[in-house]
Amino acid sequence: MSSIFKRIKDKLADYRRPGYYKEFDYHWAIVVDIDRCNGCEACVVACYAENNIPVVGKKGCDDARIFNWIRIEKYIEGEYPDVRVKFIPIMCQQCDRAPCEIGCPVYATYHNQDGLNVQVYNRCVGTFTCATYCPYDVRRFNWFTYKPDKPLDEQLNPDVTVREMGVMEKCTFCIQRIRYAKDAAKDEERRVRDGEIKPACVQSCPTGALTFGDLKDPNSEVSRLARSRRRYRVFEELNADPSVIYLKRVMGNGKRSHD
Amino acid sequence: MKRRDFIKYLGAGGIGTAMGIFFGKNTKPPGAKLIPYLVPPEEIVPGVGAWYSTLCAQCGAGCGIIVKVMAGRAKKIEGNPLHPVSRGRLCAMGQAAPQGLYNPDRIKGPLKRAGSRGSESFMEVSWEEALRTLAENLAGLKVKGSAEGLYVLAPPLRGHLDALIRDFTATFGSPNYLPYDLFDNRNLAFANAVSMGMESLPHYDIENTRYLVSFGADFSSTWLSPVNLSYGYGQMRQGSPGVRGTLVQVEPRMSLTGANADEWVPARPGTEGLVALAMAHVIVAEGRYRGREARQWRSLLEAFSPVEVAKVSEVEEKRIERLAHEFASTRPSLAIGGDVLSGYTDGVSGLVAVNILNHVAGNIGVKGGVVPNPVDPFFSAPGRDFTRSISTVRDAAESGALKTLLTYNANPLFTTPDNLRLRESLDKVPFMASLSSFMDETTAMADLVLPVHHFLEDWADDFCSPSVGKPVATIMQPAVSPKYNTMGAGDVFLELARRLRHEREKALSGGTEILGEFMDERFSVKDFQEHLKRSWRELHAKDRRLSGGNPTFEGFWNRLLKDGGWWPEGAPMEKGPAVRVKDVAAYMPKGASMFEGEEAKHPFYLMVYPQAGLLDGRGANSPWLQELPDPMTSVVWGSWVEINPATAMKLGIKEGEMVTVESPYGKIDAPAYLYPGIRPDTVAVPIGQGHRSYGRYAKETGANPMDILPSLQDKGSGALSLNSTRVNVSRSPKPGWMVKIEATKKEYGREIVQTVTPEEFERMNKEAT
Amino acid sequence: MGSDRTIEQIPYEDVNADVVRTMTETGRLYYIFLFLSMAGVVVLWGLPWAYQIYTGQGVTGLQTPAFWGIYLANFIFWIGISHSGTLLSAILFITQTPWRRSIYRSAEAMTFFSVMTASIFVFVHMGRPWNFYWTVPYPNQRGLWLNFMSPLMFDVFAISTYATSSMIFLYFGSIPDLAAVRDRVKGWRKEVYTVLSLGWRGTDAEWHWLTKAYTFFAVFIIPLAVSVHSIVSWDFALSKVPGLSKTIFAPYFVVGAIYSGSAGIVTLMIFLRRGLKIEKYITKTHFDKLGMLLVVMSLIWSYINVVEVFTGWYADTSFETESLRYRMFTPPFSYMYWLMIFTNTVMPLFLIFRKVRRSMAPALIISLGINVGMWIERYLIIATSLPRKFHPYMWNDYIPSLVEISITLGSFCFFTMMFLMFVKLWPSVSIYEVKEDIGIPFRTKKGHH
Repeated sequence: MSSIFKRIKDKLADYRRPGYYKEFDYHWAIVVDIDRCNGCEACVVACYAENNIPVVGKKGCDDARIFNWIRIEKYIEGEYPDVRVKFIPIMCQQCDRAPCEIGCPVYATYHNQDGLNVQVYNRCVGTFTCATYCPYDVRRFNWFTYKPDKPLDEQLNPDVTVREMGVMEKCTFCIQRIRYAKDAAKDEERRVRDGEIKPACVQSCPTGALTFGDLKDPNSEVSRLARSRRRYRVFEELNADPSVIYLKRVMGNGKRSHD
Repeated sequence: MKRRDFIKYLGAGGIGTAMGIFFGKNTKPPGAKLIPYLVPPEEIVPGVGAWYSTLCAQCGAGCGIIVKVMAGRAKKIEGNPLHPVSRGRLCAMGQAAPQGLYNPDRIKGPLKRAGSRGSESFMEVSWEEALRTLAENLAGLKVKGSAEGLYVLAPPLRGHLDALIRDFTATFGSPNYLPYDLFDNRNLAFANAVSMGMESLPHYDIENTRYLVSFGADFSSTWLSPVNLSYGYGQMRQGSPGVRGTLVQVEPRMSLTGANADEWVPARPGTEGLVALAMAHVIVAEGRYRGREARQWRSLLEAFSPVEVAKVSEVEEKRIERLAHEFASTRPSLAIGGDVLSGYTDGVSGLVAVNILNHVAGNIGVKGGVVPNPVDPFFSAPGRDFTRSISTVRDAAESGALKTLLTYNANPLFTTPDNLRLRESLDKVPFMASLSSFMDETTAMADLVLPVHHFLEDWADDFCSPSVGKPVATIMQPAVSPKYNTMGAGDVFLELARRLRHEREKALSGGTEILGEFMDERFSVKDFQEHLKRSWRELHAKDRRLSGGNPTFEGFWNRLLKDGGWWPEGAPMEKGPAVRVKDVAAYMPKGASMFEGEEAKHPFYLMVYPQAGLLDGRGANSPWLQELPDPMTSVVWGSWVEINPATAMKLGIKEGEMVTVESPYGKIDAPAYLYPGIRPDTVAVPIGQGHRSYGRYAKETGANPMDILPSLQDKGSGALSLNSTRVNVSRSPKPGWMVKIEATKKEYGREIVQTVTPEEFERMNKEAT
Repeated sequence: MGSDRTIEQIPYEDVNADVVRTMTETGRLYYIFLFLSMAGVVVLWGLPWAYQIYTGQGVTGLQTPAFWGIYLANFIFWIGISHSGTLLSAILFITQTPWRRSIYRSAEAMTFFSVMTASIFVFVHMGRPWNFYWTVPYPNQRGLWLNFMSPLMFDVFAISTYATSSMIFLYFGSIPDLAAVRDRVKGWRKEVYTVLSLGWRGTDAEWHWLTKAYTFFAVFIIPLAVSVHSIVSWDFALSKVPGLSKTIFAPYFVVGAIYSGSAGIVTLMIFLRRGLKIEKYITKTHFDKLGMLLVVMSLIWSYINVVEVFTGWYADTSFETESLRYRMFTPPFSYMYWLMIFTNTVMPLFLIFRKVRRSMAPALIISLGINVGMWIERYLIIATSLPRKFHPYMWNDYIPSLVEISITLGSFCFFTMMFLMFVKLWPSVSIYEVKEDIGIPFRTKKGHH
């Protein structure tokens, strides 16, 4: 009896150990250099194409049910003529202390061994809790079963599940590409090389604002960029420990006309 | 069960099965099988994608792409990592190409007009009949001796398809092969030709510049080669450690590029060229100009002192001077002009002014400046014909000189101002045939519709222009087999040539010698693929650069298809041409550009610009692109009018309310979007929406600003002047709604997008090193 | 216990007769109401829900980021309503408060039915309700287990335990009465109550065990009820969303629940005593006491409300400020907010006056007002917090669709239907405890026992 208690105690202690969540096989992360991002939205369409994202039409957009897994937020500051516009791509931040994960009663969203916050569509019962808890508003719900007009469905990517009504979904960091690369690496008995995996958004970004890689590898490109002095994370104070690291935009006060 | 019953059932079942097989065989359309291939080609492995390299034809930039094909279907398009233009990246429009391929509104087979013209009632015909109709029509022209009545309208193609159509038209006996596209940079090419003698568009080396002044060029979304220039932009900003290039945008309406600029200079519309000249004035006046003709330049620029220019442009004198100093002292620097600037009635003058600025600052022919593209005998686009434009077609149609109009992927009815009266003129054309994949406005007018392959199904090639300082040839090869009963564009012309030759033989037996021209072996190949291969065989034989590494042609051809094209590793920088005073004197602006309409009745300048993703409206039939929030306004599925909030308040207009934009030439209704990044005396409307045809996704979404533009053209280049009218804005009673994705423009101090000042950034760099 | 007796002297015989009369004699009005409420359940609830399940959650007004809406507001509202019945009954039982006796039975029934209504809303708001059993922990072949970190999982346990316990509590308390009814009815009723009364004969041993069990459940149910609503509040408080993530939510919800539940009892009692003509048993003294309770709860509730706004304002972050501004000063929510303050803080203050407490019309208005206000409170918590989450780019106003409104109205019909059926099938006033309240056996000229 006491051994059971001891095991439970150890397990709990294990959970409480600082950095428990950091012990991953890999730690996939995206570094977004906002100073490079010019807001062209190539990433958004790339994501649509790769991940079978449904189109909801004008009414659906008006109902705020657009499915963009990655979005470019735009904020305008100041009045004419001192206008400052800022863009930021927001995708699922793959938080290491994810608020969404504690919400789901059925483990439809959980942390996988790569530090990713994954969503099991089959498991989802649609309580909306994960989406409500998400501070980054990146989760999208299948309000209906969205079917593309034929023959647009011929474009659907067979590597990615087509979701049905009642299921929550979100950015996966293109987990299908990660799987392919990991399988290939496993066949060759090595770790995944830096730059081997590129999620659709990272791949398409014309300005090179997005970089994907393994934070556990100190020599990877993301690790290098993550050490930048411009580094920050959105809503760091919420302590969700996101895996998407942003590099601050270099920007004057917008008042150069009055110098 | 009794034995008798068993036999009965067996009999019934047998008959049923036989009937099933019979009807199944006879009623199923060919190819209606669960799996696209019964015996798949060798390279197809279920569940594993095959990547084909080809060319993206969504816009004219000429990006090399790779297409992921699984089980015979195109799934995903990515930039070809080897390709020097796309560099492995791709824009939103390119990504959306599969939606063109699998668009439910594609034309599925040849059509012949059944109702009245423009009524969009067609009947299906066979290719045989369609081609015969067209060939007979052409033969008829020839017989009547009016071969010059054939006009061929196509977008500016650059490869061997271009050469084929040109040859075909010329051989037929017509000089009227007209490349037409709304955004084909005619003004830029013309300005460069007259001021620098450049035959092809240069490479603007944004990547290596340290100080970029853009006069209205929105290279982030549509200008020239967005993917390549955006790559350059990213590199300019953070490509090399510690060095960060500056971007200054001079334009009355803040475009996407303007939004990314470090400084936005909202000059009064039509005065940006003057600002460029004033900057040049400062550089020359202060003796910073080291080139030849210093005295002549000084006198030429005399009239454009910052004091004078400040009065018209509403850009402070001090600011112009500071910009000029920064521009001259930061090395290398670069000025570019386009979109807004080239859209003015004196757009050429503005672009010449930008060239002058580059010249006096010593930016032409240097790394990080204007890099000329070599005029290569083998790999260059042919020089442009500035003498003819879309109004040539209109005039020919009016006068009756236009007998047969052949359009290929061109949609002038949507992209020309209503005021040009092209629709009315084309009504007078006896015969119109359209080679197009979609029922666009122009195709809807046609008598004969010949559906062509989507570019993912077709063969072609392209010599990019602007290139990247070296020749770049890209091959377009079919990534998938044709989805519908369509034909390749090149194949159509070859087939026409074959039929015309046949007609000739018929005519010969009748005793008249009229159609001898198509005997040439160029036209006697099996199909366009053969034609392309033969052309490249010739290139391979002629050009040592090609045959050097690949002695056999087959090896070279295979590598060509694998790599997606051919380009040399590096190329020496071409010597930069100089801008000469005598060449540009005629193009000096007389003042601010002219705008139609009186200020009292039409108080606002109208700026029209291509909407990112839709370009000239061709993207409007893709649901992805329709649902892609506009980068600046986040509006989806519709158009809008950008109004400064102060102006809107004065007019009593709230965001999302319908407004009427009225020019002297007409009016359109669209919802208002309150946009602080636009001058209070200016309104802006995007081009791309407001289709009358073009499929279910494009129809009846938004308004087309071309409806209210005057039909002004630049006298020199023949380009349409888009920013050429004043408008009045008032509230509209019409119903309409605007859907935008953003909830608010403000960040509420939440520090979602965090910034560092340039000074702090410099300090960071110092600390890092 | 004669001193604070709430009921006039009534012969024991009459008590039995009166209670059984409420069950057997039925007016036409009753059937009309029953029919209307049943029709309401089918038309307003059943059909729209079927439509929603068939078409998808898209028929609601929910969107990104307002993923929760009126359904969850209703869920909390009904859980809140459920609170007072059993909790009040248990507390008053332990403290031996005499005025509890004639009202507790229907109050407990109210608890049970509102928990039922609330739990149906859990399914209504689910995206894939046909998979609801995945939230139930039992050994299964899916090889998956539940996430016990999730507050929704706490909910599943808390609410099912609460529903079970309150049902048992209600049933145990009713056994002697069911026996009494058994002895007085004929036909099918006789058979039903024979089974239900579990062979109750009224022996000393039976009374002994019944009292023991009843006391046990009374003690057990008090912490349970407090925990249930705390847990419901954790659905919100464990998030990070401004306006939802509040440490004060647990006590706030419990207080709000008792408050709305008590008001619910007042409303219900007014209808019940009129409808069943049992003014003798539910007297003005009951309303007097309940009125006092309402004043106290109103003051506590208002205090917490002030604290909530104050801490939000004092934090001075954009997140809290915008959420509060949206709730308090942005129409239409501002109207709702200030209406809520009026009905829940201002109006109950009139209950300080004895005269108001003891007259039916004001009591009805105030209690209905409180329930409207409490519903608004729940609605505002959800409908004004989620649309003003962290990213201003994603803000969106939530407007409930017709389907949602219809299902909301349907839930009231469902509750009414259940309660109407209850009063005819169950002794809605406790016979034996009322007799305790009457005190020493008392005989009138006409009555014998």
